[in-house]
Amino acid sequence: MALLEVQGLGKRYGETPVYADIDLQLAAGEIVAVLGESGVGKSTLLNCIAGLDSVDAGSVRIEGTLIGKLPEHEQALFRRAHLGFVFQAFHVLPHLSVAQNVALPLLLLRRPDAHRIAEVLEAVGLQAFGGRMPRTLSGGQMQRVAIARALVHRPRLVLADEPTGNLDPETADKVLEVLATQVRAAGAACVLVTHSQRAALRADRVLRLTAHGMVAADS
Amino acid sequence: MPALLWLFSGAELRQHPWRHATALLSIALGVALAFAVQLINASALSEFSSALRSINGQADIELRAQREGFDERLYEHVAVQPQVALASPVIEIDTYALDAAGQRVPVRVLGIDAFSAAALSPALMPRPAEGASRFAVLDPEAVFLNPAARQRFGAATSLRLQAGAALQALRVDGSVGLDGAPAVVMDIAGAQAHFGWLGRVSRIDLRLVPGADRATVIAALALPPGVRAATPGESGERISNLSRAYRVNLTVLALVALFTGAFLVFSVLALSVAQRQPQLALLGVLGLSGRERLVLVLAESALLGVAGSLIGLLGGTGLAALALRWLSGDLGGGFFPGVTPSLQFSATAAAVYGSLGVAAAVAGGWLPARMAQDMAPAQALKGLGGDGAGKASPWPGPALLAAGGLLSMAPPLGGVPIAAYLAVACLLLGGIVCVPAGVALLLHLLSPRTNPLALLAVERARDQRHHATIAVAGVVASLSLAVALTVMVASFRDSVTRWLDTVLPADLYVRSAATTSAADTAFLPPGFVAQVAGVPGVQRVDALRMVSLQLDPALAAIALIARPVGDPARSLPLVGELLPARTGLPSAYISEAMQSLYRAAPGKTLALPLPGRAAGAPVLFQVRGVWRDYARQQGSVMIDLADFQRLSGDTRVNDLALWLAPGTAPGEVQQTIRQLAPEPALIDFATPGDIRAISLRIFDRSFAVTYWLQAVAVAIGLFGIAASFSAQVLARRKEFGLLAHLGLTRADVLTVVAAEGAVWTAAGALLGLQLGLAVSLVLVLVVNPQSFHWTMDVLVPWGRLALLFAAVMLAGTVTAFVAGRQAARRDIVLAVKEDW
Repeated sequence: MALLEVQGLGKRYGETPVYADIDLQLAAGEIVAVLGESGVGKSTLLNCIAGLDSVDAGSVRIEGTLIGKLPEHEQALFRRAHLGFVFQAFHVLPHLSVAQNVALPLLLLRRPDAHRIAEVLEAVGLQAFGGRMPRTLSGGQMQRVAIARALVHRPRLVLADEPTGNLDPETADKVLEVLATQVRAAGAACVLVTHSQRAALRADRVLRLTAHGMVAADS
Repeated sequence: MPALLWLFSGAELRQHPWRHATALLSIALGVALAFAVQLINASALSEFSSALRSINGQADIELRAQREGFDERLYEHVAVQPQVALASPVIEIDTYALDAAGQRVPVRVLGIDAFSAAALSPALMPRPAEGASRFAVLDPEAVFLNPAARQRFGAATSLRLQAGAALQALRVDGSVGLDGAPAVVMDIAGAQAHFGWLGRVSRIDLRLVPGADRATVIAALALPPGVRAATPGESGERISNLSRAYRVNLTVLALVALFTGAFLVFSVLALSVAQRQPQLALLGVLGLSGRERLVLVLAESALLGVAGSLIGLLGGTGLAALALRWLSGDLGGGFFPGVTPSLQFSATAAAVYGSLGVAAAVAGGWLPARMAQDMAPAQALKGLGGDGAGKASPWPGPALLAAGGLLSMAPPLGGVPIAAYLAVACLLLGGIVCVPAGVALLLHLLSPRTNPLALLAVERARDQRHHATIAVAGVVASLSLAVALTVMVASFRDSVTRWLDTVLPADLYVRSAATTSAADTAFLPPGFVAQVAGVPGVQRVDALRMVSLQLDPALAAIALIARPVGDPARSLPLVGELLPARTGLPSAYISEAMQSLYRAAPGKTLALPLPGRAAGAPVLFQVRGVWRDYARQQGSVMIDLADFQRLSGDTRVNDLALWLAPGTAPGEVQQTIRQLAPEPALIDFATPGDIRAISLRIFDRSFAVTYWLQAVAVAIGLFGIAASFSAQVLARRKEFGLLAHLGLTRADVLTVVAAEGAVWTAAGALLGLQLGLAVSLVLVLVVNPQSFHWTMDVLVPWGRLALLFAAVMLAGTVTAFVAGRQAARRDIVLAVKEDW
């Protein structure tokens, strides 16, 4: 059984169709890159997968759970336990320390675990940065904090939305290396939305999102 | 800068017109109230002084004595002095006239010598009506009404005036152009004959020959004891002095509205700066320096102040015009009876109050402007900016509080508790300035580690302290004002209630004169007391005599109250200890005002110029105690009636206090007493319940404005909370968006925001409660005694304060909850895509 199974997904904003007939399957440990032009709905697709946005057609199933069928509250609890997010703009909370930012998902799950936080910080190369405040970090460092936060609670699926969009190529490579390594090490799956062909090379498969469905990137 | 103001700030104004309009209107309201109070008081005082000038004429010197006047033979002596060009004797009598409905109306009777008054007091010159005799001005049976009297009594052809316990019917023969309260002018001989003033006059106005030296003339006059040379306009000065504290109090109350207006400007601009942080940061990156950002925000606040002040000045002028028309310039103090002033606009006052409005707005905008100045543009652009509040020194807050404490111990200046007002201002400002430190301390004590919602709230508040500060400061400012006014009014009301209990021990009161000034003319007939004592159902009768005594020309006359004192510890609302009687000296009990105005004190002697004594031979009394008198701000002395009658020979009586036998109906007793009175219309009856109800109704009406101010203060505090939480929710959109991604539910978000609201409101309310209690102590223990020369006991109405506290808590939490609903909207997840 696929870890993520998207079938016939369709989304429109009012009368404006965004995309339709999206099919996507991901196995555990697999990283899929999704390319696409600006405005084609890549971020919306991630939101729909996470239950953060409604869908107009089709379904999203994660480890057998139909996300769209869950009440809003249950969707939130599901995300809390099973999903991890990485954003283009990092979204590291400026008023929390690095360790507190990373600890957030564990705290939400009421599973505080200092050892796990240290472990994941070490995995992203920030073992000495736990007490630092975000405003003292570089962009690459902040994105590594975000990756640590996305993985600390061992999610089944990581949704990464342009995680290197704000980084220089060299830093982007390092960050992607960390992301890919850690996702695979955790046995999670990852949907990586990106504009970057270079970033896409890190994925096991590369797909292109169009208004009429998902196609292989080289087709 | 003007272009930037138009482009950048104009856009903000267009985007949030109502929010800015609220701030602008709050400034306008403060300026309008303060300016209106100033105009009303200035107009009333000016009109009153003008009326006094009309009465007093254009004399160089006025010879005056106590209220009962002096021997008219002095006139013959002074009129022939070579340095005196003109002398004019005058009689001034305060009494009552009956209107068409038989109601008593206070009226002043002026007896003049028409020949000399024409030159010295032209405003007093009667104008005989058409058809009246040319010599009517000399007719002892003719009176001439001023415009106020004509308005009150209509086109009456005769007027019934009270003289003692009887009525004198006099013919109305014309008018007199005298300003002010109802007054009638008549020939001096007629006044002497009708009102028992034969051989006496109230004053002699003197005009000196050109070049005459005033001091030399006074010395040459060799005035008899008890007669003094007064300065014309002295009485105007006295009423100005007496009413000054009241007028200043009203102005300060109005300025409280301006203070709250400044706070609203602060809230609005703090919210505006928080919202525009990215734009301001961009401007900073583009080259707008911190100082220029400061100036930009200050210019915004100044514009709000200018617009608010202009509206306020217009509104205040309109408000004053309406108040003068409807309230005749009396704002509750009763200092200007009968005056119907016209509005006297003052450009200087307008400039002062307009400037105050602008200053209040700029003061309100100062902290937000500093936030805009101190922000780090690059960091703010990346969403990593601190709160921009900078590192403030921790000392101004405690220093202001300490200054407030010290100032509260300072004496009044010119009879006005300036230092105490400054103390209140220092305490309020100090308390608010201490809020960031208080918030920091609270946050230091809170360190949640495992609850993510608490962790987020506390760390956020720790990092963005100024947001919490705005919310807490709003509650502190509003609640402290509300608490202070509540405690002050409750203490005063409770003290007045208990005072009424003590001073109204009888079952029924009979009164002939409502004011001390009329007590010499309106009195009960001799033998009436004995008659009343014989009325069935009357167990005991205490008579009371009131006399007005001028102890100091610069101060208003005090009231001498003579009545059977009995055991003063029980019959008087004494403050402090009661000294034993000293052999050889009669006892006197002074009101608190006598202590502060005349430095009288228990154990000292007090010289009182009792009526009927040889002039210049005051009687020495031993001051045995101090009593609380809320009825006479100018001071009063209580002595035993037997002492008074023995020492003065004056056996007239003004009031009676009656104790009735159990089961006796007061109505029946009233009816019987009216039948005994020669003129039933000339006596009033009141039960203690009536007097208490009327007194408390007047009290409540006088303090109605404070309830209104409390409501405004609380509303503004809540606006501060709303502004703060709206700003927080806006600033935290990305945070809430992220948390939604991380699995925080809508209920979680609402809980965190509402809980933050509750915690901050509670912190503010606790701080505000403490500050309010401190301010109330200054109001009760310092401002009131210094303003009105009476003390009161502190009463903290805990129940009412608890209700106030709960209402503020509820409102703060609900406000935060409503703001939190924005944060819990489904589209909040999109915020993670926002660059700003």
